[in-house]
Amino acid sequence: MALASLKVEKSESMDVLATLNKVSYLYPGATKPALWDISLEIQPGEFLGVIGPTGAGKTTLCLTLNGIVPQFYGGRFFGYIKVAGLDTLEYPVNTLAQWVGTVFEDPSTQLTATSVENEIAFALENLRVPPAEIRSRIPQVLAAVRLEGTEHKHPQELSGGQQQRLAIAAALALRPQLLILDEPTSQLDPVGTQEVFATVKELNRRLGVTIVMVSHAAEEMAEYSDRIALLSHGELIATGTPPEIYGHIEALQTHHLRPPQVAHTFAQVHHRGRQIDSIPVTLNAGMMAIDRLSDAPLPSPPPFPEPTYYNGAPLLSVQNLTHVYGDGTEALRDISLDIHAGEYVLIVGQNGAGKSTLVKHFLNLLQPTQGNVQVAQRETQTLSVSDLARRIGYVAQNPDNQIFNATVEREVSFALRNLGYSKDQIKRKTLESLESMELLDHRQAHPLSLPKGDRARIVIAAILAMEPDIVIFDEPTTGQDYRGALDILAVSRRLHQMGKTLIVITHHLHLMPDYAERAIVMGKGTLLLDAPLRHAYHQTQTLQSTYLTPPQAVLLAQHLSQRTSTDYPLLTPSELAHCLAPKALRQEVT
Amino acid sequence: MAQLRFQTVRRDSIFTRWDFRTKLVMMAVITVIAFVWESPITGGLLTLSVLLACILAGVRWSYLATLLKVMLPLYLILLLGMGFFNVAQVQVLTSHAELTPLLTLPTTWPLVGGARMTVEGTLYGFNLMFKTLTMVLVLPLSIFTTDINNMIIALVQAKIPYKIVFIFSSTLRFFPLLFEELQAIIEAQRLRGLAIEKMGLLKKTRVYATVAVPLILGALAKSQKLEVVLQSKAFSGSSNRTYLHESKLTGQDYGAIAFFTLLLIIAGILYVGFGVGQFAWLL
Repeated sequence: MALASLKVEKSESMDVLATLNKVSYLYPGATKPALWDISLEIQPGEFLGVIGPTGAGKTTLCLTLNGIVPQFYGGRFFGYIKVAGLDTLEYPVNTLAQWVGTVFEDPSTQLTATSVENEIAFALENLRVPPAEIRSRIPQVLAAVRLEGTEHKHPQELSGGQQQRLAIAAALALRPQLLILDEPTSQLDPVGTQEVFATVKELNRRLGVTIVMVSHAAEEMAEYSDRIALLSHGELIATGTPPEIYGHIEALQTHHLRPPQVAHTFAQVHHRGRQIDSIPVTLNAGMMAIDRLSDAPLPSPPPFPEPTYYNGAPLLSVQNLTHVYGDGTEALRDISLDIHAGEYVLIVGQNGAGKSTLVKHFLNLLQPTQGNVQVAQRETQTLSVSDLARRIGYVAQNPDNQIFNATVEREVSFALRNLGYSKDQIKRKTLESLESMELLDHRQAHPLSLPKGDRARIVIAAILAMEPDIVIFDEPTTGQDYRGALDILAVSRRLHQMGKTLIVITHHLHLMPDYAERAIVMGKGTLLLDAPLRHAYHQTQTLQSTYLTPPQAVLLAQHLSQRTSTDYPLLTPSELAHCLAPKALRQEVT
Repeated sequence: MAQLRFQTVRRDSIFTRWDFRTKLVMMAVITVIAFVWESPITGGLLTLSVLLACILAGVRWSYLATLLKVMLPLYLILLLGMGFFNVAQVQVLTSHAELTPLLTLPTTWPLVGGARMTVEGTLYGFNLMFKTLTMVLVLPLSIFTTDINNMIIALVQAKIPYKIVFIFSSTLRFFPLLFEELQAIIEAQRLRGLAIEKMGLLKKTRVYATVAVPLILGALAKSQKLEVVLQSKAFSGSSNRTYLHESKLTGQDYGAIAFFTLLLIIAGILYVGFGVGQFAWLL
């Protein structure tokens, strides 16, 4: 069998695949260490998850394992690391590359060739592997990541999940003992994330490849990892099995990390006085725990407030909208919807479902092939992009593409200068906007010198200065850690409370129940569902048809409903905990 | 999603089948001939041939139109400059002391009043225009018809150091990505009320200048990420590596190389022996 030849041969004497001994590291010119006194052993064949907030040192840790830190970056390095018996300070990176494969976050920079087979061949060619041998390895690794038959495709023809699987295949072709994956799913939709995790687990289980994976995807990490290492501020805080790490909610919250919703739910249940032997961290374990808890009678779910119905003329109206791109791709088909002033609307769907295409019609960045789009009863096609920008603020996914001024203050006032305000008005509005985003102290700083979360807030401040009625966030939480994501969503809530109409495009369904009121579900350019959030999140089949999975709390609630024959239309861990442990006996975990 | 593809033609033609080394010979021969010929007649025919070859090979007309649009101001300046001011050189080339007037500006005009534009000077301007246009058009004809990987292999087999070849191919690969980022930044500015469509050339230039900073910073960040990726893929820049594919010259390639070599020799003989291609030919 082709896969058998990829199987990692374990040496009899190799009890530990990689050893980090008292490793500390400072980047050149840095005053604070990126890693501090880390000692860790990685066993052959294990799946080690690495978690931690932004700036914890996760990427640096990965780069020490393949020797890029410190060989490429320089800086000051203390302690030692051995991988497969090789000291990473003594052996050059291209030698270590034969033992350690690496997959990075961004498919667009890590795929460098013009065909799938050339991508896989690239590292092998660098290592002078004979062409005949390269040719024999290509189908093997493509089979291992289920990409057979794509040899001659351009990597850009593959979906995001397939691109990351190709990156894994390219790393695997070197037959590494250790495969490092640094946030490989952060830019993928849920289906791509699942594809990557399932592929990696398969390689780990069937081929014995040792895995080190960095990810913020708590649910998947709990499901697939054998062991989790928690890093914070460059220090290794704890290592343990997923239940040992994710079961300690308070510790995770101290380090601004999000637990899986299952763990969050049962930690609250426990705090509300019901006996839980160990906090479950995977969905299956959670369902079994529900089975046990629901043996005793449970109260009916509390009445939930009726969704708000908005009357009057819509602020945004889309009628029979179809859009066909120049190459003939039908991106939207016969979409009709209304959005009223003051709503908070979620637009969800797989990559390529047409979400961004729809939103670009609101801004007249795209024009309908058929149908029409109106903002405040005026067809968007009759308005210029700059005119529409006064009414609709658009915060794109990557804040760095929206920053082009030398100071934060100039960035925020940029739009006002374009829109013909007087000097006094510009000054006043800029200050108000900076203040509302808590950026006053940074007004003279260069925007790109600030952290990513702050850069996102600068863009929001710049948009707010124009006082738009509608604010659109396109994937605002992608690439952010938990704290960063919550900060941005808190801003969105403030805007909503100020009376703005909010439209958020996201894949992160689990983050949204506390914010959004209504969900528009799109799939393959069509509108699959437009419903209040509580209803939409429970339409599992509709969501799955566009490759979305409801949050774990919703799935657990559905399981509870099945088990008790009572409808529990719950959305969040807190709601679920209130039903599973109705009497609050201890202080609640928030 | 970013499209990293450089513009490649979709149509299968003789140009897509040739090895890149053959196309390098073609580029060299056509460039040399275009450089040597001064006759606007032969030069024009050469430009027309290369343009037709581009269209036959499937180079998109929109690309060619953009190219011509970009070059147009330069060509207008060239024609006017040569027509009015290139007198001495044209007199020598044509061996005519008296040049044929095309138009004379009224003497009442300040500064330029009485200036005379000559037929010969203008034709010399056309010669320069055809020269540059041929050299510019032969590039997409060669590059857009070649897969980047084939280009790398052919260049390496032509004994060009791998490091240089890799830099060249990476530039081709990442140029479209930079262009997409440029579009994203301009779009972001429009979404902050910048009415770029209502701006004059000077203001537009200023806007593009502000775009340079984030674009360069983005490119630097990207190139550092790429360096790390390359390190992890055991890239050292050394030419001492293997290649999955080999580039082989076929009978068609040898035929084409022979054709272009012969073309160069014949063009040389005709130029030196019979004056074909010299400025005064048929004038």
